[in-house]
Amino acid sequence: MDTITRRQFLKATGAGALGAAAMSLSIEEIANAAITRPLPLGTPILVVVTLYGGNDGLNTVVPVNDSIYQSLRPGIAYKPEDVLPLGENLYLNGSMSGVHSLWNKNQVAIVRGVGYPNSDRSHFSSMAIWQSGILGAAKTGWLGRWVESQPEDPLLAISLGSVLPPLLAGNKRSGSVLPLGGLKVPNGSLASDCMKLGIESRNDNLLQSMAARSMRNLFAVSSDITPILKAPAPAAPDLPTAIGGNAGGDTNLSQQLDIVAKLVTAGAPTRVWSVSLSGFDTHADEKGAQSILLGVVSQGISKFMSQMRASNRSKDVVVLVYSEFGRRVRGNASDGTDHGTSGPVFLLGEKVKGGFYGEQPSLTNLKNDDLAVTTDFRDIYASVLEKVLSTPAEKILGNWKGRTPLFN
Amino acid sequence: MATIAERRRIARLVHRFGFGPRPGEFSTLLAGGFDQAAEKYLNAPLRDAFADSQGEPAVSDQGRRPAPNSAQIVAYATEKRAQLTSLSFWWLDRMVLSEHSLRERMTWFWHGHWATSYQKVDDALPMYLQNQTLRRNALGNFTQMSREMVNDAALIFWLDGQTNTVKAPNENLSRELMELFTLGVNRYSEDDVKETAKALTGYKVDKSSGKVTFYPKQHFTGSIRVLGTQGAFDANSLSDFLVARSDCALFITERLWYRFISSMNPLSDLSLTSSFASRDISALVKAIGRHPALGDPDNSMVKSPIDWLISSARALSITPSQFSNPNLIRNYLDLLGQRPFFPPNVGGWPADQAWLSTSSAQYRIQFATLLVKEGDLTPISSLAQNKRIDALADWLGIVEWSSRTRMALNGATRDPARLTLLALCSPEYVVSA
Repeated sequence: MDTITRRQFLKATGAGALGAAAMSLSIEEIANAAITRPLPLGTPILVVVTLYGGNDGLNTVVPVNDSIYQSLRPGIAYKPEDVLPLGENLYLNGSMSGVHSLWNKNQVAIVRGVGYPNSDRSHFSSMAIWQSGILGAAKTGWLGRWVESQPEDPLLAISLGSVLPPLLAGNKRSGSVLPLGGLKVPNGSLASDCMKLGIESRNDNLLQSMAARSMRNLFAVSSDITPILKAPAPAAPDLPTAIGGNAGGDTNLSQQLDIVAKLVTAGAPTRVWSVSLSGFDTHADEKGAQSILLGVVSQGISKFMSQMRASNRSKDVVVLVYSEFGRRVRGNASDGTDHGTSGPVFLLGEKVKGGFYGEQPSLTNLKNDDLAVTTDFRDIYASVLEKVLSTPAEKILGNWKGRTPLFN
Repeated sequence: MATIAERRRIARLVHRFGFGPRPGEFSTLLAGGFDQAAEKYLNAPLRDAFADSQGEPAVSDQGRRPAPNSAQIVAYATEKRAQLTSLSFWWLDRMVLSEHSLRERMTWFWHGHWATSYQKVDDALPMYLQNQTLRRNALGNFTQMSREMVNDAALIFWLDGQTNTVKAPNENLSRELMELFTLGVNRYSEDDVKETAKALTGYKVDKSSGKVTFYPKQHFTGSIRVLGTQGAFDANSLSDFLVARSDCALFITERLWYRFISSMNPLSDLSLTSSFASRDISALVKAIGRHPALGDPDNSMVKSPIDWLISSARALSITPSQFSNPNLIRNYLDLLGQRPFFPPNVGGWPADQAWLSTSSAQYRIQFATLLVKEGDLTPISSLAQNKRIDALADWLGIVEWSSRTRMALNGATRDPARLTLLALCSPEYVVSA
């Protein structure tokens, strides 16, 4: 597996066929709602960042002084001078300086050893578990079920990109998707002809009516709103200027986060945003590739947080970063790592009580050469549901009892 | 006149087991009835005079990449781009021109099954060799295909098999061989993944030439335990062992069902797997093509971008490599998210709703605008205006127009190009109903 993105992930899970169909929103619809019914300041907002491919946790939160770490990973182990101190003899990947400075302000929670019993090492199965929040074959995502627990509103939960991640799939109602990039809508008589094709017909089957709807949404434009979208992304005033200057141009993740920043700033009535980055399946030549990706994540999030501070939403926003599994402790012969078990989960924001949670899996006590799972991912979801989305976790996670006290 | 049910079965046959009808073909098939159409569509000769008349793509061994600032690098990079372009358009042309398109259709299916991307392989020759392997075995015996694929340079390189050694096995290939190529997920254990990785050690790839060499010294020669069986395995014997399992028959039947019948309604008739008892791909494809599920109105499917482009090009008599600006074809396939030789990952391309976003609607309109400019529209432009809408359905192989689309088409009967554009973007064409 070289790269995995949300769209690609759908195929193997069959998730394209799961749950209720996603509404495809036009950016104008969201901007319109931001003006007519803005989200009140103080309403918590969750931004979920999915890292596709299985991020190597041991080279993200690094036990650099552990001799076992050094000896099991020749070629891919970091040296003490490459990494950033976190305390408790752990260090952050050197490319994550933006996240590190938030850590120093107590705005980052790192939950260690997160996973679930009997780890599944298939990308597709494990991601399905993480996104559904249920072990076994659930057809809905944990946030899709949350959407269904709320009054109907297509703007409640939005994923950036053109395909709905299973995370936001519900039984009857799902989150919405917002395609990246501006839409070039036809005009003149072509537009009026195409618009006729966007009407649903009584003879349409499910897929045909979806095809008609995708055509109709293309034209659902309220032209007086476009200034919001044409405006530059909100400024990130308190960042050192080096940020963004050395990443080699825009990445897809920072584009996604820029759109989220614009729409949050404008007051979109959206409580959950989903963005993603692919490429973490580092079976070979891991070190350089992973640090570039983690740099993108770190820069993207710290810029986003800075934009939120400038727009008075920084107290409301919580960012959750996860991947479908960690990787094997021992490096393979290709200077990479194979699929493993647990890994760290990050939560960021001013609401977050910064620091470590969960036990660091011990390298002297490996199970089948793999890291132990010390925190169940559902503990985190349950706390996020209760403290960020103000929803009893029982409804969404089937009476899951565990919690992680992550929030102030 | 054919009933709607008959039109539906024939339309699905032509669009799913082929790449859509050429001008006049759908009417001929309707006149002959489903059985005759199935006989033609489900039997593909090994050679296809139309597609083969294209010759071979201009790909060759480029050797190692010269140093970044060397004098040779520009020529090397230019040639590399030209080879990829030649290979890509050679295949698109074959899909459009083939007389019996089942073989190209199946080659395309297997490309999505053993999904290998140029993105990482980065040499056209090994991608071409793999493509020929898939085509040669497309309707042959799966045991043979799987054997050839575990020895395929592009696949091994793509899944890091060349760095899989006895001392430090790399599990990428062994996992996907079981999960995505032969058995299906959860039909093996994690220990099986670790053990089979050992069987796949010792295979080295010379990427630019597409040659694979087996080094016995780097191969794990001991006994391993795989799915309850103890023994010494190499890639060939492991492939044979996996393919012989009953889970393989189930898995391949599920995958064909998913792409040819429905991705939304799972395989409902397990007796189909018996057609794959001897791992004869052609027998299974015939059984699926004649299965009553093909006529079930519930089993509609969205045309993927390649399905949509190739069927449009066949109807409009457009040869992709002869397009006035072939780059535009490549760019629109990129924007729509499906370009041959670039599957998004080893799981292949998604299906159905994934292709129905607002952004794909937009790109489809723009792409269709280009196609109708260069296509041959005489199948409708030669007709009186009041005959055009029904002729359009027969020309493109559409089951029936909805009242919505009829209304949209009614306003454009004077203008064959606009009429065709609307038809290509209509829900009735975008979805194989």
